[in-house]
Amino acid sequence: MNRLIQKLSYALIASILMSSSYAYSQQITGNVQDEESNPIPGVTILIEGTDVGTTSDFDGNFSIDASDGDNLTFSFIGFQTQIVPVSEDFMTIVMSSEDTRLDEIIITGLGTSVKRRNLANAVGTVSSEELVGKTNQGTVDGALYGKIPGVNITSSSGAPGGGFALRLRGISSINGNNQPLFILDGVYLNNNEIPSGLRFASGANRGSEENAPNRIADLDPNDIENIEVLKGASAAAIYGTRANAGVIIITTKKGKAGKTKINLTQNLGFAEISNRLGMRDWTAASVEAAFGAGEVAKYNAAVGSFGLIDYEDEIYGNKGFISDTKLSVSGGNDKTQFYVGTSYRDEEGIIKLTGFDRFSLRANIDHKISNTFEISSSSNFIQGQSRRSFTGNENEGGLSYGYTLAFTRPWINLYPDASGNYPNNPNYAGNPLFVRDKAKNDDDNNRLIQSLKLTTKILDNGIDRVRMVWSGGLDFLANETYVYVPEIHQAQNGGDNGFIGVGKNNFKNYNLLGLGVWNRDALNGDLALTTQAGVSYLKRDADIVFNQATQLIPGQTTLGQGSAQAISQTQSEIEEFGYFGQIEGNYKDQFIATFGYRADKSSLNGDPNKFYGFPKASLAVNLQNFGNWNSGTIDQLKLRAAYGETGSSASFGSIFTSLNSTAVGGVGGSAIASLRGDANIEPETSQELEVGVDLRFLGKIGLELTYYNRNVKDLILSRSLPTSSGFSRETTNLADLENKGFEVGINIDAYDTDRFSWNSGIQFWLNRSEITRLDVPAFPQPGAGFGLGLGTFYIQEGQPVTQLAGNIGGVPTQIGNVEPDFQVSFNNNFTISKNLEIGFLIHWKEGGENINLSKLLTDLGGVTADLDTPEGQARASLGFVPQRFIEPAAYMRLREAGIYYNLPKDTFSWLSEDITNIKLGLTGRNLLTITDYSSYDPETSVNGGAGLSSGIEVTPYPNSKQYLFSLNVNF
Amino acid sequence: MKNFNITNISRIVVVLMTILTFTTSCTFDEEFDPNRPSLEGVLTDASENQLNNLIVGVESGMRGGVSGQTVHTGTMARELYKFDADPRNTGDLLGANGATLDNNSFYSTSVWAAKYRTIKNANILLEALENTSSVSAQNASGYRGFAKTVVAHQLIMLVKSYGRARVDVSDPTNLGPILGESEVLSQVVSMLDEALSDLSAAGTSFSFPLAGFDGFDTPSTFSQFNRAVKAVALVYAGNKSSALTALNSSFFNLNGDLETGPKHVFSLNAGDFTNGLYKIIDNNGDQIIVHNSFIADAEAGDKRVTDKTIVRSDPTTQDGLNGTHQTKLYATNISPIDIIRNEELVLLYAEANIPSNPTEAIKALNVIRSAAGLSDYTGVSTEAALVDELLTQRRYSFWCENHRMYDLRRYGKSATLPIDRPGDQVFNIIPIPLTENE
Repeated sequence: MNRLIQKLSYALIASILMSSSYAYSQQITGNVQDEESNPIPGVTILIEGTDVGTTSDFDGNFSIDASDGDNLTFSFIGFQTQIVPVSEDFMTIVMSSEDTRLDEIIITGLGTSVKRRNLANAVGTVSSEELVGKTNQGTVDGALYGKIPGVNITSSSGAPGGGFALRLRGISSINGNNQPLFILDGVYLNNNEIPSGLRFASGANRGSEENAPNRIADLDPNDIENIEVLKGASAAAIYGTRANAGVIIITTKKGKAGKTKINLTQNLGFAEISNRLGMRDWTAASVEAAFGAGEVAKYNAAVGSFGLIDYEDEIYGNKGFISDTKLSVSGGNDKTQFYVGTSYRDEEGIIKLTGFDRFSLRANIDHKISNTFEISSSSNFIQGQSRRSFTGNENEGGLSYGYTLAFTRPWINLYPDASGNYPNNPNYAGNPLFVRDKAKNDDDNNRLIQSLKLTTKILDNGIDRVRMVWSGGLDFLANETYVYVPEIHQAQNGGDNGFIGVGKNNFKNYNLLGLGVWNRDALNGDLALTTQAGVSYLKRDADIVFNQATQLIPGQTTLGQGSAQAISQTQSEIEEFGYFGQIEGNYKDQFIATFGYRADKSSLNGDPNKFYGFPKASLAVNLQNFGNWNSGTIDQLKLRAAYGETGSSASFGSIFTSLNSTAVGGVGGSAIASLRGDANIEPETSQELEVGVDLRFLGKIGLELTYYNRNVKDLILSRSLPTSSGFSRETTNLADLENKGFEVGINIDAYDTDRFSWNSGIQFWLNRSEITRLDVPAFPQPGAGFGLGLGTFYIQEGQPVTQLAGNIGGVPTQIGNVEPDFQVSFNNNFTISKNLEIGFLIHWKEGGENINLSKLLTDLGGVTADLDTPEGQARASLGFVPQRFIEPAAYMRLREAGIYYNLPKDTFSWLSEDITNIKLGLTGRNLLTITDYSSYDPETSVNGGAGLSSGIEVTPYPNSKQYLFSLNVNF
Repeated sequence: MKNFNITNISRIVVVLMTILTFTTSCTFDEEFDPNRPSLEGVLTDASENQLNNLIVGVESGMRGGVSGQTVHTGTMARELYKFDADPRNTGDLLGANGATLDNNSFYSTSVWAAKYRTIKNANILLEALENTSSVSAQNASGYRGFAKTVVAHQLIMLVKSYGRARVDVSDPTNLGPILGESEVLSQVVSMLDEALSDLSAAGTSFSFPLAGFDGFDTPSTFSQFNRAVKAVALVYAGNKSSALTALNSSFFNLNGDLETGPKHVFSLNAGDFTNGLYKIIDNNGDQIIVHNSFIADAEAGDKRVTDKTIVRSDPTTQDGLNGTHQTKLYATNISPIDIIRNEELVLLYAEANIPSNPTEAIKALNVIRSAAGLSDYTGVSTEAALVDELLTQRRYSFWCENHRMYDLRRYGKSATLPIDRPGDQVFNIIPIPLTENE
């Protein structure tokens, strides 16, 4: 019966339309161009109020039968839609590109999008230009610094290839991953930090202390068209149980119909250490005071011959060469568009022989099979390698440079002799020059990221439009790690006699999504309803194999050459399944309301088949669209409020109480693992309310104010158990956490003329956290510090989750807080006479403390540069108490700066007519830092990017500044 | 105008796919640990193989914390310094600059956790035995006698560092109280007696392998170890006459090889440990340096000094401390560490005879002196003099073996220890870990 009605209505609509077009039609012709007079093919041209239409051809020409009084709408992605009355004359339509921020398209649901002017959340977006426009960037996360309010980024290692901790609106989880979910063209990405196992040679306590990079480093930032950051639960609720730490949606570049465009970019430059600690100003007297009379002879001998050696300069003083080459080709016709990009980055570190290189190949294809079917494919293959050497925490491994340098005295000669033999270091368990030249800590990654999306239009009758979207993604990562410490390394010789660690780690992520979207124009077009519903499935497999060999045959570098071998394997399989639905109503662009719900289950939860629900609701009110009070100076005055919930499941293995393998006397056996599993563990859930005002006026000035309050309920905590129970940890739901914060974004397009344009952005944000419920006594967070004796993160009700506590007089006492008071970024771009572009980005972090344990080591080794000053002596007299190493970690930094010159066309047109543009630039990263922090960099994290980690420093890979020359050619 | 041109077939496919999409569901299987055996698995109907795996876990675990405890208490008792990158080894443990011992640092947490993990493994073994029918009653007695003896030994180790311990830890969610030293030792003694009666019902051989118990790996020979542990507990508890009885049933032999006894063994095999007290000679950055007083106070010709320590080619300094000698107690990183050797039993015998039988005590002390290349004891036979001589012999016989701090504490002589730097203090007991939530 329904089908019959549907068929009849089709027939009716069709006949009405046909009759109308037969009645008064005449042929209208014209051409569509962009602002630079290039033809735009594929523009959809419709007679307003009908679905009669056509598209422009390859040369931008069109013809359509229309009648006097009709209006034609011209629409094309990336351009502002125009409505023009028909004219009998040849029509020339100039479409302007859609660059005003208010018309930016934001993805809100899984299959729908909304314009920024109608958005109820403060979704941060970063365009390609903002991401990499000022300077060349090695990694995506590193490129986001200071570009979005509410996003805190901390570099956990200055090694090429990165290592970043991203926090969206504060800490969302204490034990789980605080890193946001990354989705690239619909693929749920693997952002694991994969330790190389060097801890088995260095004595570091856990994998997170190995300073491994997180694998977002594999993505080439230059491929990215746009990044959207859903900072909190209210915006990310539709992503359900994976979205507690926020979601970062990355869209890569796509081809546009029209002339094939070729872009070639070459960056060349170098990196150098951004800050040196320097050498203590030694005298014979201070040598004797520090190390006793016996040392003075060595000091005098050195001063009399080779002089004092600056080992900091020797190890960290390399000027690392950087080359980044990128070639992309894009284009297509009205049916098929493509983007093909390839790049090769080769980056050397500030420690000799360290570095990172990455080859990336991308092919994005969009094809319109028919009016009904569209298919999109995005493929990315990456081959990358890094050589990170040894930094960070260790215990007597003699490997980590910061440790070695803290004890090595400058009158000791550690250079190899003429036959290449490195002397033993009399001050520490390793010779840093030997480690740098002979030991290895490398990784090698082969990665394939593929997404495929099929869109089917099921129905379009002008009032109702229904489409189905099926998409799937996969992310395969084969990671290999290789650690080699020669048998003649000081800490190995006579003990383990050499170490080889080989990791073969495979990760497979799959995600599938099926959804339907129904758009309906109700109330004569005054109310646009968008409804979507669907299912989502996610699977993540990991297989981590680590092989280790010690007691090496001299000079040998493969596993079989060690007589003591050990293998470990850890497998995990995680499955998640969810239903979601969302309805959005837009009444005359005045009221925009959304309601949604997601139900998810996960094999990580105690009950793998129990669904957890995550609702959301939001409302945006565009006051400027009410009546006609608006004089025109106000482009937008929007009030908005949004509420949403998200979840996060425990990490794999939290539900198991298991036995570890052990051995004695050559016989294997079982011993209880230190983790006591919780078979009833539930996901932690965030509930976030966000309210805000958006104001834009005079066509120039935009202001976004946002306040949020996020409560994380049933926080999953890995808490310390009384170890007399035989267990040391338990992961379970134990606490509530509140984060509230304030974000301000100001955008000013101060001038925009042909001769001079200037736009400026100021972002301000702050966050405060408090543990509002804790079911167990306060405790030091396991694995996030080195005990109350040196200062550690301390989980305590009524206190910020980011507090640092130390044992003062036997009482755990707050000694600091890593949360900044506030952060501000200031971004400016100038264009002079269309040819000269200047831009810079300043980032200011105010407040927040770090625990500087690098200084503890240099004080212990007696080499801290300031130990002869009154401050240094005052510090030394304190003894090794926790408050001694707390330091303010505020800074102001010139993050990015660039100056570009577009060559006038006549300077290169003789070369080839095909060249449309040549741009030269000089750019830099982290060129200037102002801080009171006394170590290499106030941004630091001894435990990598996960959990509570940032703010404790133990001998990291020092951060660098980069200087680059850039050449950009467009064909 | 353009119209929809879905063919019938594709229309059907689309409709089917749509229906499929919205009716999809899936049921996840119950999760199990893909990487390791589960605790529940061994607690229900464990096979003999699984029980033997737990035995290996227990014996392997006994080694946990040994090197840490030895180094921490040895530092506190001014036997040695640990020179490495952790300032707490030369700061906190020596009470530098008015420092107090922290209850959340490695020296307070690691030993406690390691000993209780072994006790947990033994308790899991005992619980598994209650829930399985795969071993005979006789064999089960062997497992029980072993497990209980190990638990008692571990509790003594806890008393030595912490002066107190929890004895009842069978229910991890409802732990028993932390008891004082005498109460712990008295429960240790009854636990050892219980173990002995299990061992006497265990037949002539164990049905499980042991690694470091060569010569003590049958129920009857293991009972000698059990009695040796009991003698230790009784001497520490001050019950000297009963201690002599226990010694008589142990492997104590006044004229025998002083080295005899079960050992913690090490290897480079996969999953095994190495000896953490082995230090590469003349290495830097990770050293056990001999406290200079150990060299200076030695009687001339004491072979134990030259057997256990070696002059460094380069004297070393750290944090205002210095030393000329380093350890050579162990030849390699897989050299065994004694659990209890006859030498300790001889000295326990001497101690148990003070003051009741000075002649016998001096006889035992002279056995030790003679083995060290020293002439017989010539001092007076007063209790005070003999205690001093006993503590001296124990100091040199057990250098860097986790005895000195507790010996001085139980005799109230910690204050006699030298102070190396102005502001240093002597601590003789380690605080109970913070996480015990006292």
